[in-house]
Amino acid sequence: MNLIEVSGLKKGFSGQDVLTDVSFTVKRGDVIAVIGPSGAGKSTMLRCLIDLEKVDGGSIVVEGEPFVTDGVYPPAAKVRAITAKMGMVFQSFNLFPHLSVRKNLTMPLVKTQGVAREEADARAMSILGKVGLQDKVDAMPSTLSGGQKQRVAIARALMLNPDIMLFDEPTSALDPQLTAEVLGVMRKLAEEGMTMVVVTHEMSFARDVANKILFMCDGEIVESGPPEEVFGNPKDRRMAEFFGNVS
Amino acid sequence: MSISEIATTTSAILQGLGTVLTLFFVVLVASLPLGFLMTLGTRSRVAPLRWIINAYIYVMRGTPLMLQLFFIYYGLPFVNDFFKTALHSAMVCALIGFSLNYAAYFAEIFRGGLLSIDRGQYEACQVLGLNKVQTTFHVILPQMIRVALPSITNESITLVKDTALVFAISITEILYYAKAAVTRTGNVFPYVIAFVIYLAMNTVLQLFFNWLEKKMAY
Repeated sequence: MNLIEVSGLKKGFSGQDVLTDVSFTVKRGDVIAVIGPSGAGKSTMLRCLIDLEKVDGGSIVVEGEPFVTDGVYPPAAKVRAITAKMGMVFQSFNLFPHLSVRKNLTMPLVKTQGVAREEADARAMSILGKVGLQDKVDAMPSTLSGGQKQRVAIARALMLNPDIMLFDEPTSALDPQLTAEVLGVMRKLAEEGMTMVVVTHEMSFARDVANKILFMCDGEIVESGPPEEVFGNPKDRRMAEFFGNVS
Repeated sequence: MSISEIATTTSAILQGLGTVLTLFFVVLVASLPLGFLMTLGTRSRVAPLRWIINAYIYVMRGTPLMLQLFFIYYGLPFVNDFFKTALHSAMVCALIGFSLNYAAYFAEIFRGGLLSIDRGQYEACQVLGLNKVQTTFHVILPQMIRVALPSITNESITLVKDTALVFAISITEILYYAKAAVTRTGNVFPYVIAFVIYLAMNTVLQLFFNWLEKKMAY
């Protein structure tokens, strides 16, 4: 089943085209790595999926429900209901600095869904267990390392039980050692069958964990397919150049 | 002055304490939320609302508080009978004037606090499904207050001292009683007592805000 269908996505910022014509589908259980040079439009594309950016044209269907149709959005309540199916992890974590790890996880659940505090607390502990941070439940974000912050951010997104997880360069702010612990959590998530779209510069993650690669350049998807195909035999010149630069 | 004279004079001056405390607390309670609403207003999508509030802040910060008090207490009653009745009490005028004036300053302080908050905080709220009100009260406001707290402390200390201005619209507060005592006794010491009283109030205030700042640290 297609969880997300994107067709003909267009987006510009002040006259400059960032996305020219982006189309792809995400199937249940897919782990999609979006790679490509800086300025290719990867993050913008991801942010369009969860309504952090408004598209100028094209369509997005999420779990069979039209989220954008030819650049036209349904009423705000409908948009919120659709984006609620997705969780998002940011490069800069964006944890709430004034709240403990526990409150970071439970507050959105309690406030938006009226879940009882005890139930939310129990869920927080179980999800913190998944990311290996149960002992940090009472810590404030400022006392955590970057890798721990990002794992808390992943846990916070999982609290709302999303069908799809979006990652916007989740390890770009981390040094290699901390990157490994975050990628470990993401790999585990993928193995559990979570559908994921990951904008990343981590080629090993793209190669080993993703089942599909989208290579973006100049606002479009230049190449896509299973990693062995895309990495093994890049057809487009720009992709060959990109690999020449990164490896 | 003898010890007993000091005691009598002090208790005479302290007759004005209630007025000062009333002014301080009522103005703080009224102007903090009012200032926050103005801050939100300056970020409204409705352009005329932004203009009006910015103009208001501009005027309130750009003119003397004393003039504003005179305008309300001595000036407005000449405009019509409604003002004449409503603004009969000097204390009511003082509370209104101070609250409106301090709200403008607090609005500016809060604006600075808001600017310090990263866009990522709003984005995180959005993807987590928090609506505008929830975002404002559970995420933005607590962080904004922490940033604004040192400036709020400063304004509060100024407010304690500014209460002495109401002397000019014939309200009997600490300065009034101190001046009366100086005239009566022909001695400078009642003023010293007034110094000590203001300092004591601001010391308590400073200690309270220090405690609050520690409590809100994260």
